[in-house]
Amino acid sequence: MSAVARAPREAVTAGPVPRGVTTRDDIHGDTVLDADVVIVGSGAGGATLAAELAEAGLDVVVIEEGRYWTTRDFTADASAAIRQLYRDGGATMAMGDPPVLYQEGRAVGGSTVINGGMSWRTPERVLDRWRREADLPTVTSAALEPYFARVERRIHVGHQDPESIGLDNELLRQGADKMGWKVIPNLRNQVHCPGSNNCAFGCPTGAKQSALVTYVPRALHFGARIVADVRVDKILMQGKRAVGVMGRVVGPDRQPGHRVTVRGKLVVSACGAIHTPALLHRSGVRSPSGRLGHNLSLHPNVKLTAVFDQAVRGWEGVHQAFQVREFEAEGLLFAAVNIPPGILAMTSHPRGEALGKLMADYDKMVVAGMLCEDTNTGRVATIGGQPRAFYQLADADARRLVRGVALLSELLFAAGAKTIHTPFAGLAPLASADDTRRLYERDIPKASMEVVTVHMMGTAGMGGDRTRAVTDEHGMVYDADRLMVCDASLFPTPIGVNPMETIMALATRAAAHVIDNLARYR
Amino acid sequence: MTAGLPPRARELMKSLVPVICPPEAMELGLADDHADHVGLTVGAMPRGLRAAFLLGLRTYDEGARTWLPARGRAARALPADLAERYYDRWEHGPTPVHVQLARALGQLLKLAHYEHPAVQERLGYRPAAWIDQVKRRRLTVYGAEVRAAEAAVIAPDPLRPGVVARRSGS
Repeated sequence: MSAVARAPREAVTAGPVPRGVTTRDDIHGDTVLDADVVIVGSGAGGATLAAELAEAGLDVVVIEEGRYWTTRDFTADASAAIRQLYRDGGATMAMGDPPVLYQEGRAVGGSTVINGGMSWRTPERVLDRWRREADLPTVTSAALEPYFARVERRIHVGHQDPESIGLDNELLRQGADKMGWKVIPNLRNQVHCPGSNNCAFGCPTGAKQSALVTYVPRALHFGARIVADVRVDKILMQGKRAVGVMGRVVGPDRQPGHRVTVRGKLVVSACGAIHTPALLHRSGVRSPSGRLGHNLSLHPNVKLTAVFDQAVRGWEGVHQAFQVREFEAEGLLFAAVNIPPGILAMTSHPRGEALGKLMADYDKMVVAGMLCEDTNTGRVATIGGQPRAFYQLADADARRLVRGVALLSELLFAAGAKTIHTPFAGLAPLASADDTRRLYERDIPKASMEVVTVHMMGTAGMGGDRTRAVTDEHGMVYDADRLMVCDASLFPTPIGVNPMETIMALATRAAAHVIDNLARYR
Repeated sequence: MTAGLPPRARELMKSLVPVICPPEAMELGLADDHADHVGLTVGAMPRGLRAAFLLGLRTYDEGARTWLPARGRAARALPADLAERYYDRWEHGPTPVHVQLARALGQLLKLAHYEHPAVQERLGYRPAAWIDQVKRRRLTVYGAEVRAAEAAVIAPDPLRPGVVARRSGS
């Protein structure tokens, strides 16, 4: 590689807070704003909708609870990033057996700032299920094609440059090849991502095309306003009609500050599958279906750690460059997902000297994870105004997690792993492929499983039948007027792949619906 | 974000460093740093969870007084061998609350330990240098494409060409 010929240019969002963004530093008293459309949340759904509607000429205000950070702010300090970019410092959990740790972004750009940057269309089999089970006849691949294509153009979906792929991912691919399993290059929203391996803590290069560097600046360019550091307490309702939102500035210590009210002709909740049902509940919205907050899917995820003889240095190269799709029909996807030593140690069972011995091999580790398309659903209850998630891992899904760990371990042994640490507490590390096969014979209690997720879905499901769904196919809330949901809450079922692109495509489709009915919303 | 633990909680966390972390934590004198780090992490928790966690810490600390081998001492005052045994009792405790609290204590200290720059250096984990290297390489090799992509962010491309709403108040 040649030497740097000139000073590198910083990424698009680097620099001071851009015009159109208001933060707590700018709000010195109770504030009232007027707009055509007010959107709560600036992630995959909210930012996409804001950009499309602003370009169409609508006056859009986006309210975001998190801070406005720029690419320049993102570093390799993982724990600082978690405190700053993750809701509640990442200490968010769905109660059940086992408890499931879940993570959400809290920043302008939402969870797209901290996700892995995987971008997949909704699988046809999932759309087929939505048509059958949720009475959504128009939700077809053909009908969604222009929206997916538009999103992919905007966020630059494509494969990684080969030089950005590290050894951990190569070993995963080699293992899959040796097993004769289907493995494919991942589709990622990135512009020449160099593999800094910092996706989950904010992309420090600007290569990951999160909403922060795509739809947010686009929305601002076309005149949208973003009010950061404001937590919306409730949607203002006049009878059944949504007429605005009211919230408070979030101070540095999260103490509530000045009141901010935004009046709009269309109100959109785009704050994710945990907070959207809570916001609607707090606002007195009742779904005739009784399903608001129900139908929570999580894509339960477990990780295992394989130790090799050779140096792997998994942090040098992009994560999840490949996906093993051999078991997609069973709802299982595998990928290599290097995580920093602090996070890895945190989720490891040994302590003391044993932990030290394990972590001494950190540079020889391949961390691999799996996504499981779940069959059970949980719910989000609103208790004291706050969302509380409850989720019980189904026995069948627990068995699939065990099967997935066994399969993934076989793959990693085929790739040359010497030892594998499973996500099951109390289970000795696996030393051979024979050990993995014995996993099937073990009774592994759910309570021993270390389960995490970043894919929360389904708590305000869309559907054609108002007695079974919370919103219609465009996200308009049944039995309410001018109130829309625009996030993963809408998914009638889990989708088995990373949800960001589906959220963005549905948001684009919702924007088209609004533009086609402009007379109502201006 | 509220930084810092109450003094007793801080002493308790320091006393748990040799129980949870590898021996290098004490060799490197990191107990204070780890207690600081735990304070930052706990400060990022929502108020209710933070209060519940601090209550749990107090229960753990004072609960030792009723454990015969502790001879009336709080957990933060136990010598290393007893601190180890007492933690073990909670880690394999009689209720999920015991187990979850012990797990949370362990997680916080493990995170603090392996996020410490001195420990990361020992592991040979130097992500900042890697990030700097690949960031420069990207802009050197692909600068033109990166700039084109940035320009495209604001290029007009209406979803419904020809439809333009009149802005409120304009």
